[in-house]
Amino acid sequence: MNYYLRRTVRIPLTILAVATFTFGLIRLLPGGPFTQLRIQLIRQGVPAEQVNARIEALQNIRPDAPLWQQYLDYLIGVAQLDLGRSISLNAPVIEILARALPWTVFLVVTSTVLMFVIGVLIGAIQAYKEGSRFDKVASGSSIFLMAVPYYIFAVLFLFFLSFQLNLFPTGNAVERGIEASLSAEYFLSVLHHAALPIIAFTIGGVGSTALNMRGNGIQVLGEEYVEVARLRGLPDSRIATKYVAKNAILPMYTGLLLLIGFRLGGTVVLEQIFSYPGLGYYLISAVNANDYPLMMGCFLVITVTLVIAVYIADLTYGLIDPRISAGDSDGY
Amino acid sequence: MATNTDTNTSPTDDTASKRVVDDPILEIEDTNVTYSEGDTYVLEDVNVTIDRHEVLGIVGESGSGKSMFASALLDAVPDPGLLTGKIHYNRKDGSTVDILQMSDEELRQFRWEEISMVFQGAMSSFNPTMKVGSHFKETLRTHDKNVSEGMEFARELLENLYLEPERVLDSYPHELSGGMQQRALIALSMVLDPEVLVMDEPTAALDLLMQRSILQLLDNLQSEYDLTIIFITHDLPLVASLADRMAIIYAFQFAEIGPRDEIIGNSAHPYTRELLNSTPNLDAPLEDMQPIEGEGPAPVNVPSGCRYHPRCQLATEKCRTDDPPFSPVDGGGGHRSACHYREEAREEIPLNFGKTAEDFDQQLVSDPTDGPNAGSTATLETTSDTPLLSLDDVEVHFGEEQSLIERFTQDPTVVRAVDGISLDIEEQDLVCLLGESGCGKTTLGKTMIGLQKPTGGSIEYRGHDIWEAKAGNTDIPYKEVRSALQIIHQDPGSALNPNRRIADILTEPLRHTHPNIGRAERRDRMHSLLERVGMTPAGDFLERYPHQLSGGEKQRVALARALLMDPDAILADEAISAVDVSLRIGIMDLMLELQAEFDTSFLFISHDLSNARYFAEHGDGRIAVMYLGEIVEIGSAERLIHDPRHPYTEVLRWATPNLDLDAMDAEDPPIREIDVPDPVDPPSGCRFHTRCPVAREACREEQPKLAELDDGDGAAACFREDPNHAYWNSEPLDGAAENPEGLEQH
Ligand code: SF4
Ligand code: SF4
Repeated sequence: MNYYLRRTVRIPLTILAVATFTFGLIRLLPGGPFTQLRIQLIRQGVPAEQVNARIEALQNIRPDAPLWQQYLDYLIGVAQLDLGRSISLNAPVIEILARALPWTVFLVVTSTVLMFVIGVLIGAIQAYKEGSRFDKVASGSSIFLMAVPYYIFAVLFLFFLSFQLNLFPTGNAVERGIEASLSAEYFLSVLHHAALPIIAFTIGGVGSTALNMRGNGIQVLGEEYVEVARLRGLPDSRIATKYVAKNAILPMYTGLLLLIGFRLGGTVVLEQIFSYPGLGYYLISAVNANDYPLMMGCFLVITVTLVIAVYIADLTYGLIDPRISAGDSDGY
Repeated sequence: MATNTDTNTSPTDDTASKRVVDDPILEIEDTNVTYSEGDTYVLEDVNVTIDRHEVLGIVGESGSGKSMFASALLDAVPDPGLLTGKIHYNRKDGSTVDILQMSDEELRQFRWEEISMVFQGAMSSFNPTMKVGSHFKETLRTHDKNVSEGMEFARELLENLYLEPERVLDSYPHELSGGMQQRALIALSMVLDPEVLVMDEPTAALDLLMQRSILQLLDNLQSEYDLTIIFITHDLPLVASLADRMAIIYAFQFAEIGPRDEIIGNSAHPYTRELLNSTPNLDAPLEDMQPIEGEGPAPVNVPSGCRYHPRCQLATEKCRTDDPPFSPVDGGGGHRSACHYREEAREEIPLNFGKTAEDFDQQLVSDPTDGPNAGSTATLETTSDTPLLSLDDVEVHFGEEQSLIERFTQDPTVVRAVDGISLDIEEQDLVCLLGESGCGKTTLGKTMIGLQKPTGGSIEYRGHDIWEAKAGNTDIPYKEVRSALQIIHQDPGSALNPNRRIADILTEPLRHTHPNIGRAERRDRMHSLLERVGMTPAGDFLERYPHQLSGGEKQRVALARALLMDPDAILADEAISAVDVSLRIGIMDLMLELQAEFDTSFLFISHDLSNARYFAEHGDGRIAVMYLGEIVEIGSAERLIHDPRHPYTEVLRWATPNLDLDAMDAEDPPIREIDVPDPVDPPSGCRFHTRCPVAREACREEQPKLAELDDGDGAAACFREDPNHAYWNSEPLDGAAENPEGLEQH
């Protein structure tokens, strides 16, 4: 059990470290966001005596309190999910994030799962037909896909399919005027809006997944236990799933969850291109508007999500792959 | 076990199986396996008949085509190999099928139900992400068998293989030791109750003791379940104890086949005879063991005429041009050999172990006075100087990682890899560490040359503590210690950088030891050393990369590299087990010669008593027998082999292959447990008491000390050395022999 315990204890510690880092960024950097905010407020015509109060309201930090007090206040705020107020949108940061996060998670998770499934299937077929025409073509395409950044696809799609052919919308997550409900209309609208970003984001990752799977698959197919399973007369379908697929995919599993976290960062550009109202979109607008509280909030949420993804990867990997068991002791 | 009584196969059984010659289960006719559209043969022109219920041992060097033969019997030759010919399988009901004509579905049912196979590496034969039990169940299910009945049978098989069925079935493969996995694999291959079991090197990766134990179990299984076993190996003496008939494969063809006693005692092929003579064993006089020069050919350039002629000492012009027929030899029932000069072979290549019995006795009669004495004086005179390496009560304990909570609630789990060993290595000394895997011999070896830090006790190099030197607390530079103590690994391939030429690999140590010599001189030195280790033409080898060398050659390069450091001691960790049998003696001889020339000491780690014996006896050194982190007996090779004192040494002696036909036949293993206990929690008292054949109550409580022998060289740690010990009055443990004296001579 210690394996899980160790990993679990690490989570709050990491989040604490991230929060401390954000705090440091805001408070301590000379000429950093904090100073900028002050200048901004003064320039906006806020009376000097109110500046501190405003800052406190925006960032839930009292600039005149001692440093440790500020730090504690900030941490308590974070713990209570109070991340301050956005300057540009004039709303609590947490509210904006709560609205944006689901869209981003939707994009990232759907596209990553799609990418994984498609990549694994292509890679598996390649491995089974190693050296065939299909294998060569697929490998070539995979390498091409890996070389081209996903946002190139995004821009191309947007230009041809949305602007030229008008097949897809050019922004937003749902049609304006459609209420969030369980209706088919709402779902269709959501899919229609998310289709292009998801496809663009999926294509970008399929190549490396397929190549990865191909390599693992070929290696597993060459293993003696597959040969023995064939001699034992097991049906090909069982060998393909229980023997080849399981052993080839397992090593990619941790990578997958890490990838989800990593791709969260990738949405910054993607959402900007498609004007999709997710975290990344708000992060960019926050940067443009010098909206520090919102920026920090986005940053904090993205990092925490990454940490949690790693945590889940670690945890479940032990459950999924029996070779990694708690306190493995074959080490000598 | 109930089956033990009727399993002693011996003369009666043998003759029985010889008589049933006219009930063949497999008839293999004109069978070939070819690659590259028929250009390269990896199995050529095989015509062999296998009898029902016989054990056929097939011996060949690596790359001789013996595994191909195994695959051919199941029509499972790896792609793109092409299998042609006829393999008739005679069912019990009298019907006959040609395996090569079967449809895919017929073949699917035939495999495992009629002919089953056990592969070399059990580790790689199980799906690592599936429990062992699921392997059994899915096999039963695919063959439409009743799963619960089948599992009942599986449990019975596992129990017969000395395993705990429930525990094994519920484990993932990696949770079992190598020996357990291999036995579980044997059970898996038998779960559909097949007629024929094809085993391809099923024990190669295991310790000798485990190998021999498994062979005994196989012998029991064979008679209990009426199996026909085809046992393929490179290890001639190993299979000799089990086989009814034996066959020798050389360069993709059968060279000889016949009843075991004929093949061992009266072989009619020069290759077999030389193979027998080159096999390290305990009985043959040392000076008669001869390596076979050269190596077996690759499939692309098989020699013309007799394929053995480039290595054969009897070869004539006729051998070079005419392929000898594989025809019957007179005198032996079913004995066939592919050689033009069988009679000459028998006359001109005498078998060295034939003389064993008499030589042995003579030695025993003439030696007792000067043998042990010589040994003890040697130790006496060397102890006066500071030893090269001195271990004092060395302990190496590996702690396992624990969480915060466990640290408070549980005792720390500690693996006692080495537990309180004191030993001196003199200048130019030779010590072999012998034991099963997991006994700590490799850890001890590494500790001796300063690669592993002891957790207790001290290790001194010429009177200076090695680890103090590393910390810079002594006046002797650590660099000097480091280069004085060298290691040769088990697998020379992984120790040599594959991207560098041999010249570069050897230059490195020379730069170290002789920084000031020029290029030309460096080259000269490498040249002469390579020639010295038998790699000629040296200039040619210097330009090669490691992958262009054979296993034996790589090991020679590793040896040369170690020697260039001018070491005082070299640790050879199982350094010859990766080398083909016929080449082992050559490498060992080389090490011994170089020891004298280069003034070094050798620490030789092995699990094979006959290798250790060859080394220790030739080099006038000692053998230290280790068990669970302790030295249980130490002494000269001669004393250890002819007069072992510790029961464990006797067990190892039993496990060592023997070519003496009278003593060869199967006995049950003289140990009570086959598997080594968990080193995390070693047994109380004498650590060997759980397996010792003569353990008594007293052994459970008290731990015997390593004590000098009164009437022989060396020391042993067993209560039986002390005639007044309470041991003699206590009760034998469960399963131990009532009368321990009975064990002494078997
Ligand atoms: S045929 Fe000639 S070369 Fe071949 S084994 Fe016999 S004697 Fe040697
Ligand atoms: S002390 Fe007892 S258990 Fe240990 S080796 Fe001797 S007889 Fe066997």
